[in-house]
Amino acid sequence: MVQGRRLFLSGLVTAALVSSAQFAYAQNTITIGAIVPSSGPFAEWGRANTVTLDMLEKQINDGGGINGAKLKLVILDDAAKPAQAANDLRKLAGDDKVLAVAGPLTSGACEVTFPVANQMKVVSTSQASSKPGVAKANRPWAFRNTVDEGILAKTSVPYFKKAFNVKSVAIIYDAKDAVSTAIATKIMPTIFTENGIKVSNGDSPISFNTGDLDVSAQVTKLKSLNPDGVVIGADYSQAVTVLREMKRQGLMKPVIGGTPLISSAILQAAPEIPVVAPATFYATMKTPKAEKFVSELQPLLRKTSGLPKDIEPSMYDANIYEIVSMYIDAIKKADITGKPADLEADRTKIRDYMANLKGYEGFSGPVHFGADGDAVKNFFIVQGQNGSWGTKVTGCSASGGGC
Amino acid sequence: MLLQQLVNGLTLGAVYTLIALAFSLVMGILSVLNLAIGELFMLGGYIGFAVIAMHFPLPVALAAGMAGAAILSVVIQKVAYEPLRDAPLVTPMLSTLGFSIILQNVVTNVWGSDPLQLPSEMFDNRVALGSVDIGVMQLVVVGATVALVAIVAYIVQQTSVGRALRAVAESREVARLLGVSVNRVTLVAFLISGLLAGAAGVLISLHYAAITPYIGVDIGLKAIAVMVIGGTTRVFGALIAGPLIGIVEVFTIAYGGSQIRDLVVYGLMILILLLRPQGLLGGSRQDVGPRV
Amino acid sequence: MMSTYYAGLLADIGILLIGTLSVYVILATGQLSLGNAGFMGIGSYIASFLTVEWHWPLTVALVISALAASMIGIIVGFPALRLKGIYLAIATLGFGEMVRSFFLNFDRMGGSSGYHGMQHISLAYIWLWAAGIFLIVTILERSQLWLELRAVHDDETAAGLVGLNTTHIKVGAFGFGAAIAAIAGGLFAHHYVYIEPGNFGFERSIDFVLAVILGGSTVGAGAVVGAGLLILLPEWLRFLADWRLAAFGVLLILVLLLRRQGILDRPLLAKLTFRSGAW
Repeated sequence: MVQGRRLFLSGLVTAALVSSAQFAYAQNTITIGAIVPSSGPFAEWGRANTVTLDMLEKQINDGGGINGAKLKLVILDDAAKPAQAANDLRKLAGDDKVLAVAGPLTSGACEVTFPVANQMKVVSTSQASSKPGVAKANRPWAFRNTVDEGILAKTSVPYFKKAFNVKSVAIIYDAKDAVSTAIATKIMPTIFTENGIKVSNGDSPISFNTGDLDVSAQVTKLKSLNPDGVVIGADYSQAVTVLREMKRQGLMKPVIGGTPLISSAILQAAPEIPVVAPATFYATMKTPKAEKFVSELQPLLRKTSGLPKDIEPSMYDANIYEIVSMYIDAIKKADITGKPADLEADRTKIRDYMANLKGYEGFSGPVHFGADGDAVKNFFIVQGQNGSWGTKVTGCSASGGGC
Repeated sequence: MLLQQLVNGLTLGAVYTLIALAFSLVMGILSVLNLAIGELFMLGGYIGFAVIAMHFPLPVALAAGMAGAAILSVVIQKVAYEPLRDAPLVTPMLSTLGFSIILQNVVTNVWGSDPLQLPSEMFDNRVALGSVDIGVMQLVVVGATVALVAIVAYIVQQTSVGRALRAVAESREVARLLGVSVNRVTLVAFLISGLLAGAAGVLISLHYAAITPYIGVDIGLKAIAVMVIGGTTRVFGALIAGPLIGIVEVFTIAYGGSQIRDLVVYGLMILILLLRPQGLLGGSRQDVGPRV
Repeated sequence: MMSTYYAGLLADIGILLIGTLSVYVILATGQLSLGNAGFMGIGSYIASFLTVEWHWPLTVALVISALAASMIGIIVGFPALRLKGIYLAIATLGFGEMVRSFFLNFDRMGGSSGYHGMQHISLAYIWLWAAGIFLIVTILERSQLWLELRAVHDDETAAGLVGLNTTHIKVGAFGFGAAIAAIAGGLFAHHYVYIEPGNFGFERSIDFVLAVILGGSTVGAGAVVGAGLLILLPEWLRFLADWRLAAFGVLLILVLLLRRQGILDRPLLAKLTFRSGAW
């Protein structure tokens, strides 16, 4: 209760600060916006994103700011609701006069927010959306710091085939979720067939719906197909339910899926079942930049109330950190003034900087953006087993190879 | 596979039965749709998890989850229903919706939005009966459901409290004339309803071993369908309709129709509403739907 | 000039207002619909199909989608006659879920991947429809027909006895409500330029009902208040950070407890418009 009251008070103070800051728009402040889902079903992601961004803001300002100007991040909650995300972008671009926006997180929110970004001519870069073609449909202002699932599967499937000697797979997916449906019904069947692996239920993949507690019937059916491996098209919180049920019914077959599977929660679900998925970041990865990021962020996340005590930085924390860092680089390098009069020109410069980005050093190596607005970067095919992720293959999402 | 699916369907049906009965106690007696029942179920699950995490045995967790949900159900009765008793029926329905929003968000703030999981060693024992593989927890779920339904049926049919409940269900005015305290009866209805939702929450969350703040939403809507199919005026209706829907769902999935599962269930519900509005076991009393 | 942020919210309010009115006219006959998001979805998909694939002008597409939805509304309305009160509400809930589930499986229009290609419309266009429909409902409220609707609402048997055709009135209300909801759907699709089945679930249906009841279910103007509140309140509560949606729930209960008839009712409306006495 005391905590509640303190939150309430600090909320009031923040609100007061935010609104007064709008009027006292100082020339020596650089404002960048972010849209994260801090309430609703993805609250944990949004709240961890917020901690990440607060940390970045402090790091930049402690280090002297951007070209002498102070960095201010305006972070808005969209509750994972598309309509709120679109209005958040309107508020950030129209009222808060931000130079660029990081987010929104979900593909559903991106679908309706990216068109607004194009209307308002402000860059919007998603930290998580991986539904095929969402940025591509909303050029030139929409970007995603994520890699197309179709490209990732081209590397993950051959590894899966070799590592587990897989000759046939069966598919189960969340039919209510667009990304999961795309992965399970379009991307994976094609690539498995190309690799000479039989998809036992390619014509009639087994589906469930987001929010289903019970997937026992689906798993029993999966088991009756007797596959060597299982494709799960679902985000990790739904996949946890499927893995638990697979374990309960003794279907101890290796699992493959897309980036939405990556999380520490999924490692606890059925530690005996190997899970193969692509990632551009995971908390135990071993690059100097990532290790530094995790060592700084993890303690902050763990002491934030409302987040689990054993939370680790997620791929989406890393992605949003990269996105805002890229914006900051753009401001430093692209002759951006941050003056209200130059707002439109500044936003265009950020867009051009993003589109022509070269050699930005991300957590997994250099990052740039393809013509479709999606990131081109190194990725890892990781395997989770017995409670931790380990890299098995490293790839690059550039079409010609080599990032 | 057929028998295994039957077991799956029965377990799922047991879940539906308990939640549907929680709905129907309030709905059958007061004609109010308590939209917070899905969240009472969810809360029961979280309390059960918390108690198990403190290394208490299952019966303690069950008792705690039931008590927690029942207390909250009584609060809902006092705050959201009682003051609006004479308002059109849609008004208390929306105030219970307010509670459902509050509960989802408070639980998110306390326990987080990611799935809370039990260490997988717990409650994993299984028994093999021929080709069919049954989890011990599945037996507990089904057994507890039958026991709880029997207890509720006994209370409703055999005790003075039950007679009062049925009297109020028939007519508030007549019940009042007969000296029944309507206030007390509605309190009892909400209390039992909360106990059932809480029990369902504990059993199910321990069986599936993973829980999120939003698990009550879809299962709540499904349970409304089960309640309607079973009939709101007979306790045993839910005991028939729960497994029926569970098995219908499971076989729709098993025979290639996993995508049309919801169409089938809600279609069945509408069909029952049109052909037999009193439900499968609803007796002959035509429900006089009060004004909304 | 209005901030684009408030312009966005105003567009949401306009669309929600239309959806709210669709529930209002059905509720006027004493029937509660928890499935109007289904009609909204039908309108949304039909209008989008017509403008994107057949390049029809939006206004024509909206009218066609409203007619189609109204036909479905009438088809739904007839069996609904057998049901009363909360059972009717539950049946409409089932209808809404079935429509959502149908579009989820309707691959021709994208299924769960959603549907694109609509042209963005202006705020003025949305409000032209919202104001037009509001005006029609207001005129209807002062007509002989409305008295008949209310008679069915207050006592259906008596209304039947004095010679009112309760069947026509109840089914007609469903058809009219469905048409209005469909227009809300068409405008929604062309405001967000993207639709998916999840947009038209139970949550949306209950939003419509919530706006009617919060705003005041006895006067059409209540829908304006309710729709405005439902969109603006979560925005105004942003200072509460993680607790804003929980606070929204608390406020919702408080409003219902303090003003069970809704914020706006006839006496208040009369006071606000400096009119004395009852209408």
